[in-house]
Amino acid sequence: MRRPRPLDAVVAIALNTFREAVRDRVLYLLVAFAVLVILSSRLLAMVTVGNEEKIVKDLGLSAISIFGVGIAVFVGVSLVFKEIERRTVYTLLAQPVQRWQFVLAKFAGLLAVLAVHVVLMYVTLAFALWMRGATASGLAPAVWLILVELAIVTAFALLFSTLTNPILAAVWTSAVYVSGHLSWSLRLLAERVPPGAGRWACEAGYWILPNLDRLDRKAEVVHGLDLPAGFIAWSTLYGACYVALVLALACLAFERREFR
Amino acid sequence: MRAPRWIAAGLLAAALGGASLSARVLERLTPARGRAEQLLYLPNGRHLRVLSLGHAPLLADLIYVWAIQYYSEYDTADRFRYVRHVFGDVIAELDPHYIDAYWLGAMILIIEARDLEGGLSLLDLGIERNPDQWILPYLAAWECQMASRPECAKRYFERAAAVPGAPPITRRMHAALLARTGALEEALRLWLAVLEDPASDDLSRAIAKRKVSEVRAKIDVSALRQAIETFRIDNGRAPHDLAELRRRGYIREVPTDPSGQPYAYDAATARVTSAAGRVLGEP
Repeated sequence: MRRPRPLDAVVAIALNTFREAVRDRVLYLLVAFAVLVILSSRLLAMVTVGNEEKIVKDLGLSAISIFGVGIAVFVGVSLVFKEIERRTVYTLLAQPVQRWQFVLAKFAGLLAVLAVHVVLMYVTLAFALWMRGATASGLAPAVWLILVELAIVTAFALLFSTLTNPILAAVWTSAVYVSGHLSWSLRLLAERVPPGAGRWACEAGYWILPNLDRLDRKAEVVHGLDLPAGFIAWSTLYGACYVALVLALACLAFERREFR
Repeated sequence: MRAPRWIAAGLLAAALGGASLSARVLERLTPARGRAEQLLYLPNGRHLRVLSLGHAPLLADLIYVWAIQYYSEYDTADRFRYVRHVFGDVIAELDPHYIDAYWLGAMILIIEARDLEGGLSLLDLGIERNPDQWILPYLAAWECQMASRPECAKRYFERAAAVPGAPPITRRMHAALLARTGALEEALRLWLAVLEDPASDDLSRAIAKRKVSEVRAKIDVSALRQAIETFRIDNGRAPHDLAELRRRGYIREVPTDPSGQPYAYDAATARVTSAAGRVLGEP
């Protein structure tokens, strides 16, 4: 008999997490997205002048991002909490499953749900654009960067899910999302603060918080502008490393957690 | 003790009624604030960009669509007061590459508000932020041309034509304007450039070929008229024919018109004409 590899447990729990999210009717959001994009693309002809495709693209990309963040926050924060509340975590951890495998699997499962969502929403957007005689092929870099951003948000949701209850975790994750988009302002503040602890704290905050604003390239992509050379690769590396760090913290927090 | 309480209540009710009535009368007597004042509550795009958390382009679209509805209400008396604010300070700050916003804002200012300078300043903002877009200087040139400001039109056509990838019509319009304003040598140089450019399409090349002939004829006729005038001043009479101008050293050779025919010269009136001149609107 083959000895189970560490990855087998991760894959099994991840698949289960994916199935659970599908059973929770998370995919129903796709219908809302499709209705929003297709209806808005029809309505625009009546209420605007000029380049309607630009508006459909902006709306589609923003909707992919907002719906994705919604799923990452509201599904992510209850991932671990639900298992503890239902006491299924005891059964799971009684098996030859390490706690880090459990955390990693939960993340992988939710990321898979998000990836499926993003891809299906992108296909819907491409269809809405195709109906107008336009193409969505140039939007792929922005969609990929949205997925990188969602991976970071999901990692935070999971970290907070291991530390506290879903309501607080949702608030904290939302706070990280907002501050991640405004972290550049800490840089500005650092320039105005006299040298010393205050400036150091601003600089530290700038580098520690996820720089989600840098990952937002929707406008450039919609206008067909070139992204800097290697931007996608560096952004992906940044996202992967950041996720790894946050997941390591989540694993550590979960390892130290006592179940009664 | 009951009576004074009733009196106090009655006085209060009367005061309330009086205040309500007088407030309504004052409302009718004083002019209401203009509808455009509501735009005071539209914050600058730089602030909205921060609040949008990465969705600035979508916010720009929503305000753009709202602005179209707002500026479609023709009964708002002071509707042009904040056009520059809405399109320049809000939408263009949210999405600096939103070409339609500069375009529409400028059209509202120039065509409806009759404010050419305001419209051009909005287009200038768009040109500064989008130097790779030929359409904005092209539109500005058109508006200058419509306002009979050829120098301004020339400047913008030149700018539009200089944008890499600008279609041939930008250079054609520039050349046509130069010809109309009398800068014939410059116009000829531009038409030749269009004709000889391998990137020009067939239509542009055909138009350029015809225009080169016309402008050359115009330059020839102008040079001949000048030579005849100089001859008349020197000799007290008009030359008998164009060959006399050449013989006496006023021109190096007698030119022929683009069809190869000699230019027609009437010694009695000392006027030079050509078949091509009719196309040019010459007498």
